[in-house]
Amino acid sequence: MDFLVKMGEAFDAEEMGDAQSAHIHAAMPLDYLEELTEGAEGTKVFATTHANSDPAAIDPDGCKRIGLPKNYDIYELIRAGEPPEKVFKIYRRMGYFITHTCTPFYAGNTPKPGSHFTWCGSSGQVLSNSWFGACGNRDSVPFNIAVTVTNRTPLMGMGLKKNRHAQVVARVEGLDFTKFSDADWGALGYHLGAIAGPRNVVIDSLPKWLTTDQFRFIASALPVSGAVCLCHVVGITPEAPTLQAALGRRKPEIEVVVRCKDIEQAYQKLTTATGSDVDLVTLGCPHCSIQELKRIATQLEGKRVSQNVRFFVAAYRGVLELARTMGYLDIIQKAGGVLTDCCVGSQHPFSTLGPGLGVKVNANNSVRMDHYMIRISNDKVKQRYGSMEDCINAAITGKRGGK
Amino acid sequence: MKLKGHKVAAGKAEGEAVVSPEPFSFLGDISPDTGVCNIKRPELDGKSLIGKIIICPTGKGSTRGPLTAYRAAKNKVAPAGIICKEAEPVLAAGAIAARIPMIDRLKADLFKVIQAGDWIKMDADKGTVEVVKR
Repeated sequence: MDFLVKMGEAFDAEEMGDAQSAHIHAAMPLDYLEELTEGAEGTKVFATTHANSDPAAIDPDGCKRIGLPKNYDIYELIRAGEPPEKVFKIYRRMGYFITHTCTPFYAGNTPKPGSHFTWCGSSGQVLSNSWFGACGNRDSVPFNIAVTVTNRTPLMGMGLKKNRHAQVVARVEGLDFTKFSDADWGALGYHLGAIAGPRNVVIDSLPKWLTTDQFRFIASALPVSGAVCLCHVVGITPEAPTLQAALGRRKPEIEVVVRCKDIEQAYQKLTTATGSDVDLVTLGCPHCSIQELKRIATQLEGKRVSQNVRFFVAAYRGVLELARTMGYLDIIQKAGGVLTDCCVGSQHPFSTLGPGLGVKVNANNSVRMDHYMIRISNDKVKQRYGSMEDCINAAITGKRGGK
Repeated sequence: MKLKGHKVAAGKAEGEAVVSPEPFSFLGDISPDTGVCNIKRPELDGKSLIGKIIICPTGKGSTRGPLTAYRAAKNKVAPAGIICKEAEPVLAAGAIAARIPMIDRLKADLFKVIQAGDWIKMDADKGTVEVVKR
């Protein structure tokens, strides 16, 4: 409680509120975890753990084939020389569901509108604030743990209604959403994040049929180019029945119109590869939904991944289990794809291992993966940004044309 | 020169001011093993931050930052204090986790009243900062 009281005081919180949902860093350093949870009983909040598992946990043979060593970098844990099992033992005692995913909502962690959550991982923070209408800040890793110990959180920032109005209004012009791919939605988010910085956004005039998967691509891109916590969508998200409601009847600080050229510019920033050859294709940042695994399996059925390409697909292990039941995993693996539940975003194993393995170009449909791979690999693994369908074609042919 | 600010993390500290014109993150900007600064600016890159007072506009970056701050403090290579224009939750959590006194919202233009090399005495509980020019 001490940690949370201090944080609350630092940000002028006047009171604490009940927390209902938490998402925990997957690989806490053991000494600090012990300190934060000392004497604590199991948590009352719905707590899940973030993506960061052994990449080879799901598909050891496939991972071996594409050059991924077992137990590769479970982050701070391995570096501190501590066996993960000691950390997981405390997670089990605390009642944290060891989900190893950045999409805990597929494991049932779906905070309700107006409730307070504390989540590790910025893409989930934006989704929970915006799509679920729950309230949470850019909380840090020890903060998440402290909330699970006390089941309370200081009411500050996004936790207060007065701070949840949009300061940036985005409108669109000349975009045909019926032809929008997952990568196009991500490009829209990447463009808007850079304009918004830390401000709340409202997007006007998106189609009513916008799906959770599609919004997830917008949400996960916003805090990559900016530090956005909340993005309303007029007529769709719970706090934006109208534009005026989302703005709290106040004048926006920034008004922006998004056009085709903005989406194209985002593609250019995210494409560092020059030739058409591709030797790695990664899908699953954020982790794939069951719908996406279905799309991958449908497109891959009866085909083979090129022998020059590593095709790497990441999803929450619960979703992978469902995909197994549905026969999707069998199709993807028979075609030569490799499945994982590790992080393929800011901790993509091939960002650091790729150059040594001769990996030169990664085709992907994720702003987050793309942006961080460019930086973490020191531009040694070039990126080709495009739709899931284009990525799968690249996996089959080893070539990537088009946009 | 004595100035008044707002407590973010409790405690007293004194040391030499190190000025970063850009937002600071414990993850990436400091080595938790050596306390050496990794900010790619000629006046900061490679400089030891051990026992220094960091002057910066605000925080930024990964929510794992406080883990690095905690590690640096355990290794006894942490900065002595932080003074910023406006605190941000991740940097504040780093200061609290590592027990580094931190003050924000000085009633003065931070980057005008404090220059690199100035000697700083800060008392976060009272929200006071004393600047002794070099």
